[in-house]
Amino acid sequence: MYNSQLLRAVEEFLFDEAELMDSHQYDRWMELWDEEALYWVPCNADETDPARKVSLIYEHREQIEDRLFRLKGRHAHAQRPRSRLMRVISNVRILESGSEQVKTSSNFVLGEVRLDRQTVWIGRSFHTLLLRGNRFKMREKKVVLLNNDSPMGNLTFLI
Amino acid sequence: MANGAIAMNGFTGLDGGVGGVLNGRYSEEALNAMVERGRVHSAVYTDPVIFEIELERIFHRTWIYIGHASEVANAGDFRLRNIGRQPVILVRGNDGVVRVLMNRCRHRGAVVCEVEAGREKVFRCWFHGWTYDNTGRLLSVTAPEGYGEDFSVEEHSLTPAPRVESYRDFIFASLASDGPSLREHLALAAPMIDLMIDASPERQIEVDAGAHKTIYKGNWKLVGMDGYHPNFVHASVVAMWQRKADAGMGATHRSDPFDGKAPTYTRDLGNGHAMLDLRAHRLLHYPQYSKFLAGVPGGKEYMDAMFARDSEERARLLLAIAGDPHTGIFPNMQIIHNQIRIINPLAVGETEVVMFPVLLKGVSPQINALRLRQHESFYGPAASGSPDDAEIFERAQRGMMAQVNPWIDISRGLARETVDSDGAIVGNVTDEVPQRAQMRQWVRLMTGAESSKSAAARASGY
Repeated sequence: MYNSQLLRAVEEFLFDEAELMDSHQYDRWMELWDEEALYWVPCNADETDPARKVSLIYEHREQIEDRLFRLKGRHAHAQRPRSRLMRVISNVRILESGSEQVKTSSNFVLGEVRLDRQTVWIGRSFHTLLLRGNRFKMREKKVVLLNNDSPMGNLTFLI
Repeated sequence: MANGAIAMNGFTGLDGGVGGVLNGRYSEEALNAMVERGRVHSAVYTDPVIFEIELERIFHRTWIYIGHASEVANAGDFRLRNIGRQPVILVRGNDGVVRVLMNRCRHRGAVVCEVEAGREKVFRCWFHGWTYDNTGRLLSVTAPEGYGEDFSVEEHSLTPAPRVESYRDFIFASLASDGPSLREHLALAAPMIDLMIDASPERQIEVDAGAHKTIYKGNWKLVGMDGYHPNFVHASVVAMWQRKADAGMGATHRSDPFDGKAPTYTRDLGNGHAMLDLRAHRLLHYPQYSKFLAGVPGGKEYMDAMFARDSEERARLLLAIAGDPHTGIFPNMQIIHNQIRIINPLAVGETEVVMFPVLLKGVSPQINALRLRQHESFYGPAASGSPDDAEIFERAQRGMMAQVNPWIDISRGLARETVDSDGAIVGNVTDEVPQRAQMRQWVRLMTGAESSKSAAARASGY
């Protein structure tokens, strides 16, 4: 049985995160992360060993900050113009919950429009959220893209 | 062809007879005229008719990189690949032999393998059940009594690519039954492949770390070796590296190798192959880089193993460049940084680039993990480098549709290029030596023109 209050709080967090990603609010998105951040988007399969297999993104705090530094500058051409983004978060589940952290999964459908082309991205996100006072911080976020085994174009926005 | 407008009329009309285009095809003279000294007609990048001729005369004829032997290490291991538009299976048979087989049932033509990678004893066509073993031999046909006595099962094996040769486990195939050997084709590029392999203390690389598959709306020839673009296309990354010396690729990219003053060069290695030669520049930064490497678990042991195996000079070079030959092998392969790339032409304005990160045998897991993280930092659909390359290629493809003046300029460095003692044409790293090398081979294959063997003659060619 889920604690419905906890589920509601997780949903609010995920919706807020989605809004920050959709609107390219990089600094505010970064504030959602814990110091020991891990942002992981596997490639070729949903489960891989990152020490032996390449990922689309496998970044800790420092590399995430580098990513945002680039995106905030004027010369990240693949985001000039920026992608227009809108995502729907659904199927939110609590996989584990304890006094210090919550593990969740959620599905997303993300519409992206850039240079007259609309692309639909679909995936499942796994969040490990730390309870910090009355707020969550993201310790780990793993995004399993439905098309992680297929050729893809520009994935330079926040996913 | 002195005037752009005249040239355009000649090259874009397909009604026949005009400017060398006959029955919707270009004459060899017309193709030859599209590449001049230092400039190229942009129809070479935008005309679907030319793309069809490229498939036929380049991709379905010359040596095409298929894969690395480590991808099919065990009997039955297979990978699906393409030669131009033609689907093939790279497979190691139960007899241990690696083959490149056309992925097409000998009965009614369906693919016999639809899974991208795996291990199989047999390939079965699910149209009518014909079954082949992993050497390509036809084992059985369904209800054989329906065929006459003269039907020979043995003569209906999967068709092998006409020629398959390998260079140090890099497997190439050609759909032409004769032509230059692979070693002749690789020309001066072969020792550059060595630079990647020999970075492993065991002289073995492993290509089993997965792949980034990227796609862009632009012509395949836009993926070239280009030392003029980094400070513009990758301005955001350069700015990031300037903040921290050891971050990502920054560990092997101290100072600016592309400022035109660094000891960095372009090299035309013959037959369309070209290199951004960063070796001398990386060697300058070996002291800092070796300190960085020593801090990685297993780094010191790696360096010791290399110095124990090779001369001091060779070991230092291999370590300094971190196995990065920065070389393009015409027409479909590049070995850049930690990766092997396959370039698949899908349409005149659409290209797939598959990037296979390479792991080194005989180094610590931490060094290989670091190589993967370095690769991801710059390459792949979500990285800091590749998407900006793709974005600019797409802009070039769109821009080249403006054809009032249809010529693109690749003349940079023509006046200052030289010929090295090995025959390579050498320019400044920002010079368009690689673009000229690519187009010279393009003309040669598209028109069947016999190019001169000596680089000096090539240099004065156009």
